Amino acid sequence: MSTDYKTIARNGLWDGNIVFGQLLALCPLLAVTGTATNGLGMGLATTAVLVASGLAVSALRGAITTEIRIPAFVLIIATIVTLVDMAMNAYLHDLHKVLGLFIPLIVTNCAILGRAEAFASRRSLPAAGFDGLMMGIGFTLALVVLGAVREVLGSGTLFSNAALLLGDGLSWLEIRLIPDYDGFLLLILPPGGFIVLGFLLALKAAIEARPARTGTIDEAHERIQQVFTAGALLPGAGQRGEGT
Amino acid sequence: MSPPTLVSGPHAHSMSTVSRAMLLVSLALTPATALGCYLFGWPAIFLFAITIGTAVGAEALCLRLARRPPARFLLDGSAVLSGWLVALSLPPWAPWWIGVLGGAIAMVVGKHVFGGLGQNLFNPAMVARIMLLISFPVQMTAYVAPAPLGAPGAPGFLDGLAITFGLGGGATGGFDAVSSASVLGHLSTELGRGASLEAIRASGAGLVELSLGTVAGSLGETSAALLLLGGLLLLVFGVINWRIPVSVLGTTAALATLFHAIDPSRYPDAAFHLVSGALMLCAFFIATDYVTSPVAPLGELIYGAGIGALVYIIRTWGAFPEGVGFAVLLMNACTPLIDHLIRPRIFGRSRRGKPLTLPAAGDSP
Amino acid sequence: MKRLSLGALRGRARVHAVRGGVHPKDNKALSAECPIEPIPLSGLLRVPLQQHIGAEAEPVVAKGDRVAKGQVLAIGRRAVSAAVHAPTSGRVIAIGRFVAPHPSGLPVATITLRPDGEDRWADLPSPLDPNTATPDALAERVAASGIVGMGGATFPSAVKLDLRNRFPLDTLVINAAECEPYLTCDDRLLRERAAAVADGILCMARALTVDKVIVAIESNKPQAAAAMRKAVANLPLDARVIVVPTRYPMGSEKHLVQALTGRETPARALTAEIGLVVHNPATAYAVHRAVRHGEPLISRILTVSGRAVARPANIEVPIGTPIADILAHCGGTLGEPARLLLGGPMMGLPVPSTRAPVVKGTNGILALSAAECRRDEAMPCIRCGTCVTVCPSGLTPLELNARIRNEELDGAVRIGLLDCISCGSCSYVCPSNIPLIQSFNYAKGKLAAQQRVKHQQEETKRLAQQREVRLERIAAAKMEALKRRKAEMAAKKAKAKAQEGAKAAAPLETAS
Repeated sequence: MSTDYKTIARNGLWDGNIVFGQLLALCPLLAVTGTATNGLGMGLATTAVLVASGLAVSALRGAITTEIRIPAFVLIIATIVTLVDMAMNAYLHDLHKVLGLFIPLIVTNCAILGRAEAFASRRSLPAAGFDGLMMGIGFTLALVVLGAVREVLGSGTLFSNAALLLGDGLSWLEIRLIPDYDGFLLLILPPGGFIVLGFLLALKAAIEARPARTGTIDEAHERIQQVFTAGALLPGAGQRGEGT
Repeated sequence: MSPPTLVSGPHAHSMSTVSRAMLLVSLALTPATALGCYLFGWPAIFLFAITIGTAVGAEALCLRLARRPPARFLLDGSAVLSGWLVALSLPPWAPWWIGVLGGAIAMVVGKHVFGGLGQNLFNPAMVARIMLLISFPVQMTAYVAPAPLGAPGAPGFLDGLAITFGLGGGATGGFDAVSSASVLGHLSTELGRGASLEAIRASGAGLVELSLGTVAGSLGETSAALLLLGGLLLLVFGVINWRIPVSVLGTTAALATLFHAIDPSRYPDAAFHLVSGALMLCAFFIATDYVTSPVAPLGELIYGAGIGALVYIIRTWGAFPEGVGFAVLLMNACTPLIDHLIRPRIFGRSRRGKPLTLPAAGDSP
Repeated sequence: MKRLSLGALRGRARVHAVRGGVHPKDNKALSAECPIEPIPLSGLLRVPLQQHIGAEAEPVVAKGDRVAKGQVLAIGRRAVSAAVHAPTSGRVIAIGRFVAPHPSGLPVATITLRPDGEDRWADLPSPLDPNTATPDALAERVAASGIVGMGGATFPSAVKLDLRNRFPLDTLVINAAECEPYLTCDDRLLRERAAAVADGILCMARALTVDKVIVAIESNKPQAAAAMRKAVANLPLDARVIVVPTRYPMGSEKHLVQALTGRETPARALTAEIGLVVHNPATAYAVHRAVRHGEPLISRILTVSGRAVARPANIEVPIGTPIADILAHCGGTLGEPARLLLGGPMMGLPVPSTRAPVVKGTNGILALSAAECRRDEAMPCIRCGTCVTVCPSGLTPLELNARIRNEELDGAVRIGLLDCISCGSCSYVCPSNIPLIQSFNYAKGKLAAQQRVKHQQEETKRLAQQREVRLERIAAAKMEALKRRKAEMAAKKAKAKAQEGAKAAAPLETAS
C-alpha cells in the first residue's frame, strides 16, 4: 500500500472532513462552538488525541488481534484523552474551565475511533500520524469557522478570550467587530449551531458544484439545482422535512 | 422516473388555485391589520411594509438560487402572506431590523431551506416569531399603548420614520413612547409578584377592549373580534374548515374553564384567554396553514387540540406569557407523525386496512 | 326502520351518507332538452370484436359474406365475453385490426361492414315473456344478444345476471345517477322510453330472481325521476325510485349502493356479495329489446356535447358508426376543439382518432373548448388536504402521489393505491393542478406490468423445476435400472460362484 500524502491531506481537510464531509462529532461541535476560541481549543485538543492515537494504534497494529481491537483502541484513546485533559487542566486552566466538560468526552468522539479502525490500524506509522494530523486540522478548521460565524453573528465579537488559550501575547486577536451589538442569542444556542452548520454545508456543496474546470456551465447549473432543490420542486418529492 | 405526460382525466378542473386561497386569506386579515396600523400609527405601517418587502425579496432571492421561475412562484402570494403574518406578530414600534430579520428568517430558514413551497415542516411566520423572541427578548416585548393616527401625542410621519429606523437615538428614536405591557405579559408579571387575579384584571384592560383590540399588544393580534370576523370569512369561502379553529379555541377554553373553576383567584376564565394574545390569530390564520397541518379530518382535530392545550399550558405555567408560537411549532413537528398514524378509513376496509367482513347471510334485511 | 317508514310516508326515501365527492358544473343543459334522434347510416361501419371487458369475440363470418341486420358476426366463447352483431345489412369487406376506443389505445380486431342500404333484418329469435320464461332462458337471451354494461364499464351483462347462482341476492339497483357532467343520454332515455326501461328492469329482476328494485336518479333530473316513478308503479315488483344528491361520483357502483342502503361493500368484493346487483338503464333498455323483440344490441344512445360542437344532441347510433360522421351530423366542431373525448369529462378517454367507431360502451362524445378543460401548469403540493376531503374511497391522494413520485409503489399499495377508483375527484379539486390520477394510473399500470413479469418468471421457474424433476426422475430411473442390473449380475455371479463352489465342494465333501 503506497502512501499518498496529498490524498491524505485532501481527505482530512476537505473531502472527508470530519464535520463537513462525514457529519461526525456533532455533539462537541454544537456544544463548544459558541466562540471561535472555544472551537480552536477543542480542535487542538482533538488533534492532539487524533495524532497520538493514530501513532499508537499504528505502532501496535501487529500486536492487537482483530477480535479485541475495538476495546484496545478505546483504551488507547481514553489514555491519551486523560493525558490531554490533565495537561490542559495544568497549563491552560482557564480554558479548561470553559471546555472542561467536553474534553473527557473526546473519548466518545466516533471520528477518533473511526480513524483508528479505518486508517491507523492498517497503515504505517508516518501515514497514520499524518492522517491524524490532517483530520485534526480539518476538524479544528471546521470548529473555528463555525465558532467564528456564530460568534460574529451571535455576539458581535471574534476570538474573545483568545488570551486564555494562546497567552496574553495574542490578546490582539480578540476583536469586537460590531460595537453596541445586542447579540443574536439564538445563534449562540445549540439550535443556532445546527442552523449555521446547515448553511455551511450548503456553502460547501455550492462550492463543490461550482462550474468546475472540467465541466460545462450547464452541468454545473444542473448540479447547483440538485443541491438547492434536492428534488423538492416535484410535488411531494422527497420526504418532508429532509432539508437541512 | 416521472409518469409519462399523456392526456388523462379528469378533463375538467374546479379552478381553485393556490393564489386564490392566499388572496382570500390576505383579504380576511385586512380588517385586523388596518386596525393595527391605525392604532399604532406610522411606525406600525413602516414595520408592516418592511417585513413584507423583506419576505418577498428573500423569497425572490431563494427562488433565484434554486433556479425556479420567480414570477410564477412569487405570484402565488405565499411570501406576502408569510411576511404579513410575521409583521402582525411583532411589537408595532419594533425597529426596522426586527422586521427585516423576521421576513428573511421566515422565508429562508422557515421555508426555503426545506425546499420551498409545500415542503416546510414548520410554519415560517412562527419560526421567525420564535427565533426573534428568543434572540431579542427586549425588542420583542417592548409594547406601546395605542396612539391612533392623527391623535394628539401620536407620532407623525417623520416621528414614525425616526422610531422605526432609530434615527433620533435610543430605542424609540427620541420619541416619548407610552410603553405598556401586553395584557398577558402584565398578567404573568403581576401573578409572579403575588397579586390577586381580581386586582390585576381590574387594573388592566376589560374584555370589551381586548375584543376590540384597543390595547397594547402585537401589531395585528390585539383585535380578537376583527380576527374572528376574518376567520369566519375564511370559513364561509371554504378556504379553511372548522376543525382546527374549533379544536384550538375549544381546548384552550375548556382548560381555562376547568382551572378557573378550581381556583378563580389564580386562573383567568375562558373568555379572557380567547380574546387576549395571539390565540384568535393562531386559531384561524396560523394553525390552519395548509402546509404544516395534518390532512386527515381526525388528524386536524388532534393537531388543533394539541395547540390549544399547549397554549394554555405555556401561558399558565411556562416561562413566557404567550405560548402560541411554541405551541404551533411543537404541533408542526408532530404533523408528519399524525399524518402517518391517522389516515381516513378506506372505503370497504376497517381502520386497520383489512377488508370489511361480509355480513352473515341472515343479516341482510 | 322507523325513520325509513317516516321517509316513505313523506314520499321520500332516506339516502345514506357517502364520503367525499365533488360538485363539478354539470353542463347538462347543453343537451338535456334535445330529444333522442336517429342518425343516417354511415357509408362504412366498423364493428370492433372487443367492446367489452373480457376475451375478444371470435368472428363467425368471413370477408365477402353478406350479412343481415342483427346477424351474429362474432361470438364470445369464453366465460367472460360477449357476442357482436351486424348493426345493419350489408357485406363484410374486411376483418382486421383497426383503431378503436379501447383503454389500451391499441388497434382492435374489427369487422368492417359496407351497408347495402336495405337495413334488412335477420331472422330474430322469438320474444320471451319474462314472467313465464326461466331465469336461465332470460340470461341466455341476454348473452346471445351481446349485451354489456352500457354505462361505460362494458362488463358482459349475462355474467352479472348469473351472479344469483353464486350469491344470495335481494335487490336490483338501476344506476341512473349519470353523475358525469355533460352526459344526458340516460336522462333522455328515461324521459322518453320509461316504459321500455321499466320492462327491461322486470326482465332483469326475473332473470336475477329478485323482487326488490331501486332506481337511483340524481336530483338534477327530476323529469326522468317522475317518468320512472310512473313507469315502475305498474311493475309486479317492489320497485321504487330514489332520488340521490347530485354529487360526483354518485354513479360509482359501490358508493351508490352505500347511498341507497347504507351497506358498504368490502374492499375487493362485488356488490353482489352483499346482495345487490347494479345495472345501467341503457342496459335495461337493451335487455327489453332483446327479451321482448329478440333484437340484439346493435345501437345505443349517446350524448354529443361540449361547447366546441355546433349542435349538442342525444342520438341513437348504430354500433360501428365512425365518430367523425356523428360530429358531422351535429354540425361539426367549432374550430379545433381543445379536447375530444369519449365519455364524460371526469373519466372519459381522449378520442384516439375520429375514424374510430362508436362501441357499446360509448355514452358520450364531447368536444370541449379550451375554456372548458383549462388546466394550469402543476405547482408544488401545498398539502391543503382537499383531495383527502373529496376522495370517495377515503384515500390520501397527496401521500399516494408522493410515494409514487419516489417510485415507492409498494408503499403506495400499502396506503390504498389499489382501492382508488380513478374517479378523478382529487385531480379535479387540486389547487396546484397536480395530475394525481395520471400518476395513479401510471402506478397501477406499472404494478400490473410487474405482476405480469413476475407471473412469467414464476411460470418459467415452474417449468424449469418441472423439467428438473423430470430429468431427476429419469436419472433416478436410470440409476435404479443400472443398480437393478448390477444387482442381477451380482446375484447371477454369486449364484454361479455358489454353484461353482458347490460343484467344487461336492467332490471335497465326497472326499472327506
